[in-house]
Amino acid sequence: MATSNYLVLLLIFSCFCRYGNLQRLHEKIYSSIEGGAACFRRLNGTHQTGCSSGDNGAVGVVHMIKEMSDVQWLLQNATAGPYMVILSTHYFSDVIEKILEKPEIIAGILLHDNATGSSASFSQESKCPNEYSSAYGSSCSSTSPVGITWNDKGTGLLRRDIPFPIFYLPISRSLEIDKIDQCYKRYNVIDQANQKGRPLCSVQLHSFMFAAVDTEVCLRRSTSTTLLTPTKVCDPLGDHNIYYSLFPRTKDNKNKEVTLVTARIDAASLFDGVAPGAASSVVGMVTFLTAAAALSQMIPVKNASSYGQNVLWTLFNGEAFDYIGSQRVAYDIKMGAWPPAAPLSVLDIRLHVEVGQIGGALSRFDNTWPLYAFTPYIGDIPAIAEFLNIFGSNLRPNKTISPDYSSNIPPSSLHSFRRIFRNETESGALPEVLLTDFKATFSNMFYNSALDDYDNIDFKYRNITIDNKGTFIPTDTLVANGTFKEVDSQVKIARLATTLARTLYHKVAGKEYTGNVSVSAHLVDEMLYCFLKSQACRLIQAAEYASSGTEEKPPERPAPLYVGVAAWASTAPVFAGHLLALLTGTPLPVNRTECYDMSVPGFSQYYLKGWDHNGVCIQTTMNMSAAISPAFTIPNYNMKSGEYSTWTESVWQTMWARMFVASSGVGARVAAVCGALATLLAGLLTYWLQKHAARIFIDAPAQSIVNDDAASGILRTVNC
Amino acid sequence: MDLTRLPNDKKLELCKWYFKVGCLLLPFVWGVNAIWFFREAFLKPPYEEQKQIKKYVLMSAAGAVAWMAVFAVWITIFQLQRVSWGATGDALSFIVPLGRA
Repeated sequence: MATSNYLVLLLIFSCFCRYGNLQRLHEKIYSSIEGGAACFRRLNGTHQTGCSSGDNGAVGVVHMIKEMSDVQWLLQNATAGPYMVILSTHYFSDVIEKILEKPEIIAGILLHDNATGSSASFSQESKCPNEYSSAYGSSCSSTSPVGITWNDKGTGLLRRDIPFPIFYLPISRSLEIDKIDQCYKRYNVIDQANQKGRPLCSVQLHSFMFAAVDTEVCLRRSTSTTLLTPTKVCDPLGDHNIYYSLFPRTKDNKNKEVTLVTARIDAASLFDGVAPGAASSVVGMVTFLTAAAALSQMIPVKNASSYGQNVLWTLFNGEAFDYIGSQRVAYDIKMGAWPPAAPLSVLDIRLHVEVGQIGGALSRFDNTWPLYAFTPYIGDIPAIAEFLNIFGSNLRPNKTISPDYSSNIPPSSLHSFRRIFRNETESGALPEVLLTDFKATFSNMFYNSALDDYDNIDFKYRNITIDNKGTFIPTDTLVANGTFKEVDSQVKIARLATTLARTLYHKVAGKEYTGNVSVSAHLVDEMLYCFLKSQACRLIQAAEYASSGTEEKPPERPAPLYVGVAAWASTAPVFAGHLLALLTGTPLPVNRTECYDMSVPGFSQYYLKGWDHNGVCIQTTMNMSAAISPAFTIPNYNMKSGEYSTWTESVWQTMWARMFVASSGVGARVAAVCGALATLLAGLLTYWLQKHAARIFIDAPAQSIVNDDAASGILRTVNC
Repeated sequence: MDLTRLPNDKKLELCKWYFKVGCLLLPFVWGVNAIWFFREAFLKPPYEEQKQIKKYVLMSAAGAVAWMAVFAVWITIFQLQRVSWGATGDALSFIVPLGRA
């Protein structure tokens, strides 16, 4: 008994030992590649776009593209495919089309941002962003080989179905590329012509996507309740729009007419969690937020009764994906349901000003920042002429704004309004104007890409402290003391926001602004830092909810601006909303409970941390509304109609990448052949033994007896 | 159960019973019946009930083969056409494939 116990213990022990060895063996074989962002699958009403690996990942032999001749070799001479192409952003635009023509020899792409060879342009957006949601009069065509396109450098990859996975490694992860390079040099480079049959350095990328075909199919599969697979395969894209009015809007107030000022929050990129959007959206949003803050100081909300007009500031989300946010707002206005508290009629909008994509031209090292005002009318519309006139007179001496009267307007929320309110926009009853810093094609060479970061707008953080009352040092003081120069992005943005705020003041008050309120470059500096470099910044800390317990510090990286799925709110619109509340709202001297117990028509209260972090009750008209496409709220909407945005995002389980040296395959083949031979031999031996049992075993029964009745009788007693 | 232990009349009864059960849209039972009684029906030396057993075995076998043919045709059509049937194809699927049409 005791012996058998020892045996069992020994057996268990040996099992554990073997498990431990297995773990270590796994680590010996594979080296994980950390910090990569994968390209994932999105779907619309008719297509699937983006990338997916197979269920078990995609395995390929490493091939590094260090110069263009490496691409030639890959496409013409490579023998050991499929290959995993290690590519820097510098070569990406030149190489990707060639690779896409031969997908059968490509297992995937590992894209990395290279410090030494930075690229002059990098945009995976379409040449005509949101082309199929454009309003009448747009002439941009991404398929036509001739003609001017907005995003001239765009590869359109964001809107295509890519047959292999792509992972992106940011510059901070260059060590991973060095690791792969070492392995590549050791195994793959030597005698490159005879790669086949040798152990080769390989990479496996895993990013398996659950959804397929199009939005209709994936939503149907997500809602079907099959017994074994209650899996959700995709989610609609969406988040929140932010809106704020200068004066409270109630159902019966007199300043019903509004100037609608809009901008977009979101940006996009091909890769998960990487959407810096500096020039694509952040500069416009910061101009918008700071101008709103300045206007609220020029016209205090308590004087509301002396003005006949209002300004409604709205930030749209999901604009990169067929204008989700603005389509929803325009649709809701048409339905008489937005804003919910006091619905706006389209004819109450006396002017719609969109702060469009500005920022692409910011990195130019001169004082100028030429602006363009796109107005989609041939005839003269008084409201627009007046706006441009006042705007021009408020500009600094060496700044210009050139109007462009053409119905071919760049991608912007104007397209949504022009589609949904075609009658009103065509007749000029809803006058619209779009501010940009480009005329024919985008000045931003990194539109909606992973490289559209703070460098693209030449942003250098100055890190000036803010006092506990939230006062910002005026721009002129900062320029005078040398902290800033006129060429700095922060100063340019502050000047533009000031101009916008003063123009709107003139519009609301009917007279020129003579006070000294202006947007501070200090505030712009802080806000850009929050959105482009780190969420652990002064503004966001002051604009957070004041919570009683100890909370964790926000991460020291920017919040991704990708709209994400509608299932939960992402951080960027919440930050923008809170900043708007903090910078424009009225602080009230009440404590938290009193703050939330208040009920004033047209206002809501937020108890935020405040500049001194002691908590402050802010009374504001800021609010949020759903930025979910009408396609997902209209019952039985035809997803293929193309009327509203139908973008959904696939669900995935894991994304990972790892490197290993794949054996030549000779060993595996030898093992398989030996195994087959051994099985065959054992079978033959058994057959021979049974046949000649009588010769070998002394008392072996004769073969004939086995089927005899007596023997089967014995077998019966055993079996039955 | 071992058939060799059963008397011949019981064998016939059992074979008939299996055939009847198979009539309740259970082709697998027919298949089992055909294989199980094959030796009794065709290989054993003749006995009184053998003729009837032979009949049931043949009928079971024919039924099972017919069912198999129907299944084979349906499975082929389903596998080839599921994608083009769209919503109907998904509704007919017990396991909807992930990541493909």
